[in-house]
Amino acid sequence: MLSLTRVSKHFSGLAALSEVSFTMREGSIKGLIGPNGAGKTTLFNTITGVYRPTSGSIALSGRDITGLNEEVIACLGVSRTFQQAKVFYSLTALENVLVGRHYRSRSGFMACGFGLHSSRREEREMREKAMHYLAFMGLAKRWDRVAHELPIGEQRWLEVARALATEPRLLLLDEPTAGLNERETEDFKKIVFGIRDSGVTILVIEHHMKFIMEVCDEIAVLNFGVKIAEGRPDEIQHSPEVIAAYLGAEEDDD
Amino acid sequence: MSGNIENHLKHGNNAIAWLVVTAGLLLLPLALGQGYYLSAMNFIALYSMVAIGVCLLTGYGGQLALSHGAFFAIGAYCSSILSLRAGLPPWISVIASQGFAALVAWGIGAVVLRLKGHYLAIASLAFAMIVEKLSMALADLTGGSPGLTGIPRLSLGGFAIDSDLRFYYVAWPAVMLLQFFALNLVSSRIGRALRCVKEGEEIARLFGVDVRAFKVKLFILSSVYGSLAGSLYAHYVTFVSPSVASIMFAIEILLVLALGGYTMLWGAIVGVAGINLLNEYLSVFVQYKRMIYGLALIVIVLVFPNGLFKGVADRIDSLVGILRTKGKSHAEPDARQ
Repeated sequence: MLSLTRVSKHFSGLAALSEVSFTMREGSIKGLIGPNGAGKTTLFNTITGVYRPTSGSIALSGRDITGLNEEVIACLGVSRTFQQAKVFYSLTALENVLVGRHYRSRSGFMACGFGLHSSRREEREMREKAMHYLAFMGLAKRWDRVAHELPIGEQRWLEVARALATEPRLLLLDEPTAGLNERETEDFKKIVFGIRDSGVTILVIEHHMKFIMEVCDEIAVLNFGVKIAEGRPDEIQHSPEVIAAYLGAEEDDD
Repeated sequence: MSGNIENHLKHGNNAIAWLVVTAGLLLLPLALGQGYYLSAMNFIALYSMVAIGVCLLTGYGGQLALSHGAFFAIGAYCSSILSLRAGLPPWISVIASQGFAALVAWGIGAVVLRLKGHYLAIASLAFAMIVEKLSMALADLTGGSPGLTGIPRLSLGGFAIDSDLRFYYVAWPAVMLLQFFALNLVSSRIGRALRCVKEGEEIARLFGVDVRAFKVKLFILSSVYGSLAGSLYAHYVTFVSPSVASIMFAIEILLVLALGGYTMLWGAIVGVAGINLLNEYLSVFVQYKRMIYGLALIVIVLVFPNGLFKGVADRIDSLVGILRTKGKSHAEPDARQ
């Protein structure tokens, strides 16, 4: 579904990613782990088109998306959340999710400005869909709250709702459980499975080992921009390279 | 649940406000009769068009361009020249001028909108200065510094728009149409995208907003609001000179937005009326006018960063909120609309 072939990204000589390759099956959940600075978020930015890879290629369902603009890649069905929730703070919760519907809707300047019937109908449909995703993330009651008034945890859910509203084929989650307590993390696990069951392929960066081991079908480990291991959670847990390079090099976050 | 949403749809509130204001404006001359206020209202209408356009571009879209005076001038000169030199009927030259202004806006916008913040402001100001210079230099077309006189008045289907009252009934319906368009736009998917571009272009892109194309379209729209006002102005006062291309124009419009609130389309009209009123009272101090404007702008920006009327409205809102919840701690009121 997603395949990376020898993707490298250099920042003025510094290799943030070196020849990273992996593939993802449709409908699978893949974990991406590694110490801070291993290049995980850089990899997200490269997949979503924020960065252009220095070399290598990225394909989505067989289509080469290397070097495409982020808005084009978004329209091909790639959506993401951020390490620090990046919602639109001045928009309400509902409006934030509606932004997720942006490229799924058509009405242009003229149709919207003249308030044509078609644009109003589309807006109504968008709102219904958006409310559905807000409800899915448990935010239905918060729909008219301005995002900056929401607690951080809810901003995180809002981000996920916004990403889901794009009806992505591939969803990238950047440390979604950071700052969540035990219970919330359990709840989120169910949400992730729910999203997967609706047919979305998920790539997730996470430091929370218990979560990642329980949720992911496969895990890739990055260290200094190099993929040092890949496999099923139990394989990764027992891989000597991973233990040495990752678990041994840094204290476990939890 | 969906009924609840419908209630909160800004569309509903906007439509009622729009109808009430439109009806009020159409009835105003019937209530007050003819008089000096009519010509004042006509100028308020013209500048309101510009202000609504700037409100969309700068207030909602976050693009601080100072080119609106230039587009006002382009609209005014283009329509005058087409009527005087090419002999086109005024209403046709008004329409043709908007096409021309849109083309210029497209060309300029595609270049200057690659810049952000102060750089955009400076580049667009440079464009405005070029237009100001051209209005003098192209004397064969523009009449040089004395300008063009004897511009024909509008006439629609044989009905000459030759009095303040008649022009009132052309200008204000036009303003209300443009306002209708703007209100619809800001409460639509386009309006949301505008606000996203203002808040964070990078994230807007990740949600499929083609930011560059989007900004150019917005710039064209906003500039045509200005040039339409300019064209109507030319056929109303029947005289244009390089003073319409003054770069001070853009600054005054910013003062209007500072008064009315950057993201308040109604505030744009109220702001223009406010400035107009101020002009009347300050006419005794003509030589200090700009100084007073400058000071007012600084004070407003410092004290009410969201605009004077909006700032006051928000304070009243939060006061009401405090009185209602009595003692309960209360978050800042919603800063939108």
